[in-house]
Amino acid sequence: MNSNATRAALGALTIIVAVVLLIVLKGNDSASKTANSSGEVPTIVVENGQPVGGVRDLTYNKGEQIRFKVDSDVSDEVHVHGYDIMEDVKAGGSVSFDFPATIEGVFEAELEDREEQIVELTVNP
Amino acid sequence: MSLLLPLAHALVARRDLPIPTWLFAWAASIVLIVSFFALSVAWRKPRFEDERWRPTASGVSRALLSLPAQILSGGVGLFLLGFSVYAGLQGTEAPDRNFALTFLFVTVWLGIPFFSVFLGDVFRPFNPWRAVGRAIGGSFSLIAGQPPAHLTYPNRLGRWPAAVGLLAFVWLEVAYAQSGGVSVVLSPHVAGIAALLYSLYTLVMMTLFGVEKWCENGEVFSVYFGMFSQLGIFGVKDGRLGRRLPFSAAGKWATVPGSAAVVIASIASTSFDGAQEGAFKEGIIQVFEWLSDAGMDLLAARRLSDTIFMGLCFAGIGLVYLVGVKGMASVRGAPPFSKLRSGFAHTLIPIAFAYLVAHYFSLFVFQEQAQFTYLLSDPLGNGHTDLFGTASGTVDFKLLSANAIWYVQVAALIIGHVAGLTLAHDRATAWWGDYRQAARSQYWMLAVMVAFTCFGLYLLSSANS
Repeated sequence: MNSNATRAALGALTIIVAVVLLIVLKGNDSASKTANSSGEVPTIVVENGQPVGGVRDLTYNKGEQIRFKVDSDVSDEVHVHGYDIMEDVKAGGSVSFDFPATIEGVFEAELEDREEQIVELTVNP
Repeated sequence: MSLLLPLAHALVARRDLPIPTWLFAWAASIVLIVSFFALSVAWRKPRFEDERWRPTASGVSRALLSLPAQILSGGVGLFLLGFSVYAGLQGTEAPDRNFALTFLFVTVWLGIPFFSVFLGDVFRPFNPWRAVGRAIGGSFSLIAGQPPAHLTYPNRLGRWPAAVGLLAFVWLEVAYAQSGGVSVVLSPHVAGIAALLYSLYTLVMMTLFGVEKWCENGEVFSVYFGMFSQLGIFGVKDGRLGRRLPFSAAGKWATVPGSAAVVIASIASTSFDGAQEGAFKEGIIQVFEWLSDAGMDLLAARRLSDTIFMGLCFAGIGLVYLVGVKGMASVRGAPPFSKLRSGFAHTLIPIAFAYLVAHYFSLFVFQEQAQFTYLLSDPLGNGHTDLFGTASGTVDFKLLSANAIWYVQVAALIIGHVAGLTLAHDRATAWWGDYRQAARSQYWMLAVMVAFTCFGLYLLSSANS
């Protein structure tokens, strides 16, 4: 087989694959999640030291204000890692967080003493 | 239920965002276009088979390789190992506050490959086990009046012991975790004990087979760091330090049996660590549930499912490579399969390094801030010491933007891909007499490289820990 022809064919194939990839994947982007822009402040309810409904995903864009509330039936300390913000919560009490999204990345908030993750915080650029 | 977390997770409070799909698509396209462009401009005579080694100024070489310098560097290595073991055993069980874990798994394990790739074998002079082994061997010779006798190392075994050891080390890091402590993760105490056991094992093997022989073949860290150092520009020959063509030493490295296993173990373990919380997460949980439903203890079930997936990673990546080698072997004029199998192993070293950078770059930047502030001043992490006045230091997570991390990750994979293709093409031109057949054989390696690079991109896009 003529190797130049093979190369040309493979090259053409590559470009087609690349273009298809671009189109297919570009299409997915529009479906990606947007930030928690609705006015309501998300509340994480902790029962028996565990978040009801599992670890809550909260997504923000950099520069937005991160707000959430934790209602807990146990006394513990809520620690937002990375941002290193800590607030005590009493059994049956609640604690509110309100701070700007200044660091990009994925972070955890957990009940520090129980080592129980309650929030997965994502800050997109 | 709280799942066991990989070490990186427990050390650093900020995790990387997955690369966005548009970047994934662009990177994958660039990889393919660059690959085919490379084929059309490729050279016909090997360029990296000859090291073109030139000695450096003899004064510099003599000073760096002198006995006092060797004793000093070996002593530094031994002190750091001893100190890590001490911190691991005596310090806090909080992984992120204990000197041992960050020093061993981040500063050494990730830092040395970085310097080795550019400079050459920087680990060798500091290797604590080699230093102890040589000191014991030297003393024996002095007392007995003759060098110690050793068993003959079975050359067929090649670097296989190191490949197995490498998998074991990473398994300890990512699959063997302890329940309890601050987080469910490898505890400093276990790391300290593992380091002691490994030291014992290494000294026994050195006694059996000789210090240098074991460092070349079986000592995990020598072989692993030595692999990356083959790309670097400095090398020692006949007791003299010299400069060589970058990448050129790698070709010779790859002729020892088991070399391919070492590179593949490296790629597989990085992949597994990256995929554990992303691409493989669902699968691991599924297997875990089957095992625990079958009555297995939760911790054991979790370890076993992690181990299974790590094994699958190694097997899968090995299989892709072997298919590529098999393909090459089918091209007219090819050397035998077994020669090709280890003979192209070095072409994966740049890819292994690219994987390391892609997965651990941000972890390294963040955790080194801890290493040189509070972990240095308060190595045991108990809050009682402040050796250098930096015990209250913190990690600045704003140092890297998500975009900066993404571009470094993608650039690493693309550069590693190009370097891998370059080495593979070069070896083919040397091993096939006919250029046309050499080029044909490289369609196979091209497919292997594209597969690895795209897999790497895929891992980055499906979350990274």
